[in-house]
Amino acid sequence: MSTAASVERKPRPRSKIGNASEARAGLILAVPFLLLFALFTLWPVFQSMFMSFTDTRVTDIRTPFSVNFVGFQNYAKALADPVFRRAALNTGVFVVVGVPLTIAAGLAAAVALDKGITRFRGVFRVGFYTPVITSIVAVAVVWRFLLQPDSGLVNTVLGLVGIDGPNWLGDTRTSLLSLIIMATWRNFGTGMIIFLAGLQSVPWNLHEAASLDGASSWQRFWNITLPLLRPTLLFVLVTTTIGYLQFFEEPFVMTQGGPLNSTISASMYTYNQFGFGNYGVAGAMAYMTFLVIVVVTIIQFRLTREK
Amino acid sequence: MKNRMRTAAALTAVLALVGMSACGRDDGGTTDAPTQQEVSEGAATGTLTMWAMGTEGEKLPDLVKKFEADNEGVKVEVTAIPWDSAHDKFTAAIAADTTPDLAMVGTTWMGEFIGLGALDPTPAMIDASKFFEGAQATTVVNDTSYGVPWYVETRLPFYRTDIAEKAGITEAPTTWEGLKDMAKAMQEKGGSKWGISLQPGATGSWQSVVPFMWSNGGELTNKDMTEFTFDEENNVEALAYYQSFFTDGIANKSPAQGTTEADFASGDAPMFISGPWMMGAVEAAGGEGFADKYDVMLMPKKEISASFVGGSNLAVFKNTDNRDAAWKLVDFLTTDTTQVEWFGMSTDLPSVKSAWEDDALKSNEKLAMFGTQLETAFAPPPVQTWEQVAASLDAQVEKVTKTGTDPAEALKTVQQEATAIGIG
Repeated sequence: MSTAASVERKPRPRSKIGNASEARAGLILAVPFLLLFALFTLWPVFQSMFMSFTDTRVTDIRTPFSVNFVGFQNYAKALADPVFRRAALNTGVFVVVGVPLTIAAGLAAAVALDKGITRFRGVFRVGFYTPVITSIVAVAVVWRFLLQPDSGLVNTVLGLVGIDGPNWLGDTRTSLLSLIIMATWRNFGTGMIIFLAGLQSVPWNLHEAASLDGASSWQRFWNITLPLLRPTLLFVLVTTTIGYLQFFEEPFVMTQGGPLNSTISASMYTYNQFGFGNYGVAGAMAYMTFLVIVVVTIIQFRLTREK
Repeated sequence: MKNRMRTAAALTAVLALVGMSACGRDDGGTTDAPTQQEVSEGAATGTLTMWAMGTEGEKLPDLVKKFEADNEGVKVEVTAIPWDSAHDKFTAAIAADTTPDLAMVGTTWMGEFIGLGALDPTPAMIDASKFFEGAQATTVVNDTSYGVPWYVETRLPFYRTDIAEKAGITEAPTTWEGLKDMAKAMQEKGGSKWGISLQPGATGSWQSVVPFMWSNGGELTNKDMTEFTFDEENNVEALAYYQSFFTDGIANKSPAQGTTEADFASGDAPMFISGPWMMGAVEAAGGEGFADKYDVMLMPKKEISASFVGGSNLAVFKNTDNRDAAWKLVDFLTTDTTQVEWFGMSTDLPSVKSAWEDDALKSNEKLAMFGTQLETAFAPPPVQTWEQVAASLDAQVEKVTKTGTDPAEALKTVQQEATAIGIG
């Protein structure tokens, strides 16, 4: 009964006075949020961008505006820094290898939980998700034990089958790989939960029809499940990539960027520069990372857009 | 898209304009000559707030009770702050002028805080000569002292006496060659996997390397502290000596983290260089009776026996409302009796030389050895940019030990980077 009434009531031009007072009320209600947002979110963003174009150092914190404007010098300085370039390369490798690995692991776990595993489903779901919510510090201690060259579990098991395991974290050839595997293990649970939700929206009658037509389960996964998961996939891809581009905790607690800068990441090096008090250069580095994230995200949206 | 780009461009331009018009450094700056005002006589009064980190922060309230009893009408509020966030908290407080009256300050932060103009120069009532020289030097910038050393620590070589004996060594070596021969003997004849455990680079490895430079008569800066001198010959020799432990296979190039105590107890690495806190740690790892199986020795000599001095200082902040009482508390904390009492409470080693005459410290031979080393233990120059310069040195030390980079080349790189970073 109310539907008829509401359809009839077309948006009529309201009187100007009513409109204005409503707008005012809205504005007043929004003011507390806007103030807090401007003060604690917008202002720091502008301040840090401003900082990246000046020669601000820790000694200037008492007088943040009496600094010299240096244009793009900080950006040039960061790009010319061999350690920053190494950090950028490491971050790139981490994203290019780590993101597909994490998504594949998350998807595999989700499909297995959805179809394959029927017993103790809850136990597995909790088990796969636990690393996500566990403190990185605790995880780091355990992983360091696992990866220890002489007595670690990984090398002990490898030794049983006759392989002489490397010094995982101490060797420049395996250190980054070790962190990628650890990050994958730590993060695939998030993707898994989202994929599990996405899999619920894949209609089973499509699968039924396809299998009647003789499609194998692999073909059904490839041609039905995956295309229908596309929006979910995009979401997981974008969030994982953004997270991995800011890759910080793993090297920070596991290797401090070593050995020989083989695991230092862009975020971690930026953090170090802030610690040294070079606010200008550190700000420039942070904005370059931000720019890369924006560009990569735009590209991902373009590539995976629905046709 | 185009529209957004235009907005961004306009924004940048506006920011650039703001930057150019509103900014710019003052010419000349404010270089007031530091003044050492006198502290009034009599008992301390009023309220004091003091910041202290870690265990010190937890145990200090009990110690200051005596100060409060001696000075009726004074109230000391100790705020314990965790080490992790301490540096940020201090810089934020300095920026906002909300510093406490006095605080415990890490020795490597002194240069920075003094550069920020936050610390009050030490008054004449405190006798600077009662402290260990190396520790006192961490408070001095441009011939003015801004605080006092509160407690100290230094590093000594720890060695397994039983393995040394097996290797035919009955007396601790005193020279560079002697130390290396001993490590080699323990590895070859003592049955150990490695001769000595040394830090092959990574954060903090400069603390192991720089003492050898001092030992060889090297310096990190010139006398006036106007420029760095990393690439001088004495320093190169010291780094080459350090490198030789790794190239000769006496020290492990890539040891696992946090296994020093366990390797020492098992005999895999029967020597390492570290501070007094390791005595408790190795005795816990080695089990009962292990205290008799190891000893400490003085740092080996080239020109002198030199070690690193760490610890924390006490400083009074410039914007305190109760300056006199603050310095009186500092004075109380650095009398020899208080220092001995504090050692009993916290095991922090006294920075005051005369406190080491007390039986509590003298009776433990190993501990007394640390006291001897403190006479010739030094700290890095208190320059504002030290942390960053040290990180550069750490990176090059790692290259030298792990990839065999020429020490002279490495120190040239450190010198260049340090010069670019500036002395602050």
